[in-house]
Order: sequence, then structure tokens, then C-alpha cells
Amino acid sequence: MKEHTPPRFALRLLEWFCPPGLYEGIEGDLLEEYDLDRSERGATTANIRLVFNVLRFFRPAIILRNRFTLKIINTVMLGNYLKVASRNIAKRKLYSFINAFGLSVAIAFCTLIYLFVQDEKSFDQFHEDKQRIYRLHTTNFNSEKHAQADPHPFNSHAYLPAKMSEVMLDEMAEVESITRFTDYNSGIMSYGTNNFNQRFACIDSGFFRVFSFKILAGDHKNPLRTSSDVILTPEVAKKFFGDEDPIGKTISLASNGTKKELRVTALIEPPPANSSIDFSMLVSFEAHPWFAQSREQWGNFSYPTFVKVRPNTNMDLFKVHLDTLTNKYLGERFKKWREREAIPAGIKPTEFDAMPITDIHLAKDISWTKVSDKKYSWILGGIAILILAIACINYISLALTTSASRRVEVGIRKVVGAQKKEVAWQFTIESVVLALISMSIGLVFVVLFLPYFNEFTQKSISITLTNSFFIVAVALTIALVIGFIAGAYPAFFLSGFLPALVLKGRFTSRLQAGFTKPLVVFQFFLSASMIICSVIMYRQMIYITTKDLGYNQEQVIAVPTQLGWVPEGKDVVEQYRNAVKTNPSVVNVAGTSNAFAHGLSSFGYRIKGENKEAFIYAVDSEYIPLLGIELIQGRNFDPAIHSDSTAVIVNEALVKDMKWTDPLNEHLNWKEDSTSLGSPVIGVMKDFHFMSLERSIEPMFISQEVGYLMNILVKITPEQIPEKIEQLRKAWVSLYPDKPFEYTFVDEDVAKQYDMYKRWSKIMGLSTIFAILIACLGLFGLAGINAINRTKEIGIRKVMGAPLTSIFMLLNRQFMFFALIAFVLAIPASWYAMNQWLSSFKFAITIGWQLFAVSLLAGLSLALLTVSYHAIKAALINPAETLKHE
Amino acid sequence: MSKEYLGEFEELVLTMAGILQDEAYGNAIVNEIKARVGRDVNLSAVHVTLYRLEDKGFVKSKMGGATNVRGGRRKRIFTITNAGLAMLRAMKESRMDLWKLIPQLKMVGI
Repeated sequence: MKEHTPPRFALRLLEWFCPPGLYEGIEGDLLEEYDLDRSERGATTANIRLVFNVLRFFRPAIILRNRFTLKIINTVMLGNYLKVASRNIAKRKLYSFINAFGLSVAIAFCTLIYLFVQDEKSFDQFHEDKQRIYRLHTTNFNSEKHAQADPHPFNSHAYLPAKMSEVMLDEMAEVESITRFTDYNSGIMSYGTNNFNQRFACIDSGFFRVFSFKILAGDHKNPLRTSSDVILTPEVAKKFFGDEDPIGKTISLASNGTKKELRVTALIEPPPANSSIDFSMLVSFEAHPWFAQSREQWGNFSYPTFVKVRPNTNMDLFKVHLDTLTNKYLGERFKKWREREAIPAGIKPTEFDAMPITDIHLAKDISWTKVSDKKYSWILGGIAILILAIACINYISLALTTSASRRVEVGIRKVVGAQKKEVAWQFTIESVVLALISMSIGLVFVVLFLPYFNEFTQKSISITLTNSFFIVAVALTIALVIGFIAGAYPAFFLSGFLPALVLKGRFTSRLQAGFTKPLVVFQFFLSASMIICSVIMYRQMIYITTKDLGYNQEQVIAVPTQLGWVPEGKDVVEQYRNAVKTNPSVVNVAGTSNAFAHGLSSFGYRIKGENKEAFIYAVDSEYIPLLGIELIQGRNFDPAIHSDSTAVIVNEALVKDMKWTDPLNEHLNWKEDSTSLGSPVIGVMKDFHFMSLERSIEPMFISQEVGYLMNILVKITPEQIPEKIEQLRKAWVSLYPDKPFEYTFVDEDVAKQYDMYKRWSKIMGLSTIFAILIACLGLFGLAGINAINRTKEIGIRKVMGAPLTSIFMLLNRQFMFFALIAFVLAIPASWYAMNQWLSSFKFAITIGWQLFAVSLLAGLSLALLTVSYHAIKAALINPAETLKHE
Repeated sequence: MSKEYLGEFEELVLTMAGILQDEAYGNAIVNEIKARVGRDVNLSAVHVTLYRLEDKGFVKSKMGGATNVRGGRRKRIFTITNAGLAMLRAMKESRMDLWKLIPQLKMVGI
């Protein structure tokens, strides 16, 4: 007899794919050859050749000889499996509920995240020639970043000189059409008695060739023929004209001190929610009062530019040509710039680049109206996966710990002839059934959650006929995957029971599935991390909304003058002040260029060869008293002192920046005036947060001549706010019947800066609540099973005289221990994550041990509360009840 | 019969099955081809061909007796059927007919 030790896996592989009828003959032939090879060439070669030969048999002519019945499961038993599954689900209502609830919430979360990611990816995909449309952007060298040894010392923004698009169209062969697009303009528009402060977008006629927004009515071919044409979306048209036909009507536009008549030539389809190009009214650039002046300024980077290139354009070559063109027109300027800023050789001070329109939504480094960050998709996805993991762990641990009651069933099935594989399939099918039930509940949750989800994420996702198909498909996929994954381990575990042992009753009533312990700890770990994170986020939100900002923002309303950047703003402030100052509810009225959170102006200037930058506010003399800003040195502007009109009041940060020791004797030469010392400093303000708390307090100064007043700040007395606002509105309307009265509360404006953080901490908080809920439900189930498993033990202990407290301790000790381990693991993980998050604030809470202690206490007491119910119940049972059957 | 067609390799394998008679199983045919034609053929190719021939009815197969060699696995013995023989014959004849049509070169004094 020869010894046969061919590689077994090869033969098993053969057995797997080879039709049974042919197997013996083929295997025999292979073995014969193997023996021959072995004696002639040695074992190694023989092994290799055998494997190789087996693989050669893996060919369609052999495989397709299998009769494909594809017997994955025994279909005869399928009905029985389903029946048993439904009976089991119905029998153990609590556990079924825990599982179904957890899984359905998890499925709902995952589906919502899918919708979110889909929406993010769908941005700007609707343009017909989307792959040929590019947005140009400017990349500037940043000397500050360079000084800090940033490997990428550049800043990018989407603004170009106005002239750039004109020379590109003329001189670059690749350019098919081009348009500038600014959406930040606004003005007072009136038609009849309808006055609105209306935002409008300025475009070039190339707009309609670059993008594919549909003209709904009016001039389809060339809707923007002259500088006095205007295109509206139906919504805006309705606002102005009601049900009248808007085409051909004229609206008057008052913006920045000029007045213009605009004729409506067309109605345009409003841009969808997933469009980066957003507008409600389109006007030609020529209609904009400043454009004529700024279009010739190569140094004025204010115009976002979109280009459509010709088909089959090589974008690398495009960039080369763009660089050449840039150099031709801006080369001189760059050279001066290089000298002035001492830009190292080899680094371009500024260059232009093109980015596909479909990428701009997720290009977070270039700010744009609707820009987003991929990070959010990842965070949301992470949360969904956490919840999914917690729900799956619930399923696995509950299935394992309740398996005791299924043992006899498994035993009987096996005795009657079920194979291990079939039993495993049975349990898998059971979990799939549960997952499918959860899926249908989950879909209901999706519909219920969607409005809130939209609110939190600031999206406008709706369920339509087309995406509902995908929603169901996604939910179904998740359900099946969960069903298989969560079902696999219990199925494997349960099907492993040996019938002889099980049926002889040799098992004790306690069943230790060792795998559940690490799962429970992991589950605790996830929940604990989420608890810690949300506590920290919550604390930070409290901190930034209650921090003393250095000025009094309460009951201050900001009213725009509706004139824009014109000297006459001052007169409006004066007139309005006179009109309302007799009103007893008005404390004070002041004028300012920018109200808080309504934009900032910063101003760069050069003093003694150094580049300085400061934020500037044009104000009047009431500004400081109205806001209660503290002056630590000097005095406020005094209307009686004429020279104050050119004086400045600076903040502490500016004093520090200038390294002044006696600021009141200094002059700030921000105008770079070579004939005088500059503006005298008459006061120093205590630092206050004129910007959001994400940023540190930077140098700033206020002056009466640094700009024009565009906003009126009115401080009113507390209480009965709506009535007082109404009085203010009446005063406004009687003064300026042709201008709308708009107002915002300064404190609300300030709070709005943190909207994004608030939304995200709300999302986090909500997900944490769900995660904890699911985890607690799971824990509740586990504790219940634990208590039932130990009823007899508890009975005996009680009979022997154990007090209630010791039994209570006995049952809870283990879970408390798990929770503690989980917290110890969760602390470093969440600490790291939260440090990352807090680093986006310049003013942040410090993560101290107290926060962890609070979270730990909250988590532990929650866990204790959950498990205590069963512990108390078990401890209170009369031992006679549990022991009478022995 | 004319509808059926045998490939070159099929014809070779079928012929070998005819030659080997009761000893015609996969490995034997591989060895026979190696010995008589000098061609290295792969076992799987031979098996696949034999099954195809069986589908076409040119060979039939049965399992041989158990042996001590080859791990106790039985051999699948293929025997050529009458149809197979007829097919071989028909192919040979048609080839001979064609052969005759080629103008024969005379071998003159090599």
C-alpha cells in the first residue's frame, strides 16, 4: 500500500465543484498521477502538480455538468422554519421588541445617512455638460502660514478680477463660454407698493450657455439683452406681481445710492436644492452700480467665474495657457507683490486654477454659499455604524443567552435528522425574518425622522418615487446583511449542541456563552464614548452661548439703513434717531458700518515697513455707550470736539500688536498718509468678541471716518418686545415709506454663528439618546435573563439567610464591572475625539476630570437603573416559589 | 451522422479510446497520446473531451473494479460505441477522399 498524503484542500476543492458522478473517476486519475509524480519527482513537485491539475479541472465544461438545483437550504423545511420563527418572536415579546426596535432604529439611521451622502454627491450633477464646466479659483501665497512652516502656505478663494473672464474668452481657444456670477448683491426693489430688500445675482450673458437652467417663459434665446433686463424665478415674480403676468413689467432697483428701472424679460426655473449656483433674480453685471469701475481693476478680486471648455480639452494644457495669460496681465503686479511681501523665489504669489463644477460642493477649502465637508458624511456614517453595532450586539447577546430554551428543539431536530448546517440555516432565517420586520418599521422611522433630519443637516431631501426605490433597496440590503451577520454567530453556536447531551438533560439551566461578555463591554464602550462626547459638546455650547462677550447684546436690534455703502447712511441714522428718541422704550440709537455677525471688514496697512491688519468698524459716538463696551483708557468720541471725526478708538489687541506703551499719545496711520502722523488714538477699548468664539480677538479699531454707516443699532427696554418693535416699524415707515423695515436681534445674530455647531451637537445628542436607549434595552434584556438563570441560586441563598442587599449586589456586580471597564476604555478615545473638535474654537472649555466623572456617574447610574429592575424583582421572589419543584 | 462533427482533439481521444479498449480511462489515454503521438496533453482536457464524446454518444462509460492503487478509487472506463466507430471511419474516409484530390508531388531522387 502506498501512502497517500496529497494536499487535502485541493481534493476538497475538487469535490466542491465537481459533479458527484464524475468525482471518483477524476480523483482516481489525479491520485494515480500524483503517485507517479511522487515516486519520480518527489513529494513537493507532486503536490504542486496535483493542485495545479485540480485547478485545471475548474473549467466550465466540468462545473456546468453539475445539476444546478442550488440546494442552499432545504426548501421543504422553509415553511417550518418560518412558522417556528414567527412563534418564537411572538412568544418572547420583550426580546423581540428590544431587537426589532434597535435594529429598526439602526436601519432608519443608515438609510438616512445614505440619503444624506447621496444628496451630497448629487450636487451640480444636473448640468448637461457638467464635465466641461469648471469654476476658476485663486490661490494666494500666505506669508503668515509660511512663517509658521505650513507645508502648503496658500489660501484659495473663488474670486477673480472681473477682467479675467473677458481676456480668457478673447484669448484662450479652449474657452467655449464663460460667465461671472456674484450672488451677494442686494437692493431695494419696488413694484407699485411692494417694496422688498431683494437679493439678486449678477451674471454675464454666457451664463445660459455655461449652465443648463431652463427658461420657463419669455425670451428663451437671449433673455439678458441689455443692462436693464431682469430674470426672475416664478416665486419672486409672484412676490412682486401676484398673479399678473410678469413678462415686460418693470421693477425699480435702488442699490448703493443709485436707482434703476429693470424690465422683466423671462422667468427661469429655480435652481434645485442641490445646486451650488443659487439665485432667485438674475441681473446683468452692467446693471450693477460699481461694476463699470471695478471691471477695469486688475487688483479687485471679487468675481467668481465659471467657464465651459470646448469638448476634449486637455485640462493640463488649459492650466498652462491660463498661467501664460495670467502672467501677461498680472505679471507686473505679481512682481511688485513679490518684492513687497518678500515672497521666496520659486513660489507663485498668486495663480488661477480650474475645478470641475461637480467638485465644488465638497471643496471645503474654498468657501462658497453651500459648500460642505466630507467630514460630515463620515461623522454621520460613523454614528450610524455605532448604532448598528450596538443593535447587532443586542441581537447576538440576547440570542445567545436565551438559547437555553432552544436547546431541546435543536436536540430533537438533530435526532430526527437535521444536519448542523440545516439548524444553522434555521437560526439564520430566524434572524433574517426579524431583520425584515425591523426593516419595515425602520422605513416608517425614515419617513418620520426625515423632516427633523433635514432640519438638522440643513438639507431638503424628500422622498420621491425614484429615490423611494433606492431607499427600499438600501434598507433591504442593510436588513439582509444585519440578518446574516447578527444571525451567523448565534446560529453557529446553537447548531453546535450535541443532541445526546441536550436531550439527556446534562446541561445545567445556566448557559454561559462566553462571547457575550466582550460584546457587552464593547457595547458599553460605544455608549460611554457617545455619552462623554455629547456631554462635552453640550458643555461647550453652553460655554459659548453664555460667555461674557465684553459688550451687552441684550435687547439690541440691528436695522439696515437700506442704502448700502454710501455717505448718506449717516443722515438716515440721524433722522431715525430723532424720530424715535422721544419714545420711552428706546434707550439709545447708534450707527455702525457692520452689525455683529453681519460681515466684517478688515483693512491692511503698512506702518514702519511692517504689514498690519486690523478689523474696522465705522461708528458714531453712541456706539460705545449703547453696547456698554468698557473703555480702559481715554474717552469716547465726542460730537462736540471737531477733531474726533478723524480720531480712532482701538482695542487692547491692537495696542499689543503695535507694541504701544502709551496708546493715548500714539497715532494710527492706517491711511498710510506720508504728510501727517495719522489718526490720533483717543481711547482704548477692553477686548470684546466682535467675531465668533472660533477666532481669537484680533486687532480692531473704530472710527467715524473709516467707512459709512449701514446699520442702525437700537437698544430698547426689556419686556413687551413685539409692541416696541411695532412702534419702531411705524416710525420707520413714516420716515421712509419706500424702504422696507428689517430688523434682527443682535443676540440672535451672535448665537446664529454657532448654528452649525449647535446642529451637530443636537445630532450627536439625539444619536446618543438612541444609542443609549438601544444599549439599555439590550442590557435590560440581558439582566432579565441573568436573573432568570439564577432564580434557583437566589432561592437557595435566601433560604440560607442572605439579605436582600447581598442578592441585589450579586446580580448587579457583574454589569457594573463591565460598565466600569467600558468607561475606562472610552475615556481616552472620547478625549482624543473631543480635543479635535474643540480645537476649532479659540475659546473652549478645558476637558477636566469633572466632565468624565459626570459622564461616568450618569452612565453607571443609567446602567444600574436598567439592571436593577430585574435584580430587585429576582431578590423579592419568595424562595418557596422557585424551589418547590426540586 | 453528417450533422455531427468531431474536432481534431476529440478525434484523437476517441481513437485512443478505441485502441485501449478495456483499459481506456483518463490517465491511460493521456499516457497513450504521449507515447504514440508525442503530445503532452492535460488530464482535465482529456476528461472534458471524454464527457463530451459521451454526450454525443460516441463512447459509453462504466466504473471499473476497485483497486489497491490510486487510493482505492475506481476507474471510469470509456468504451467506444458503434456510433463512435462509424464516426471515426466516416471521418477517415472523407479525409482520404480529400487527400486524393491534392495533386501529388512526385518524390524524385532525394
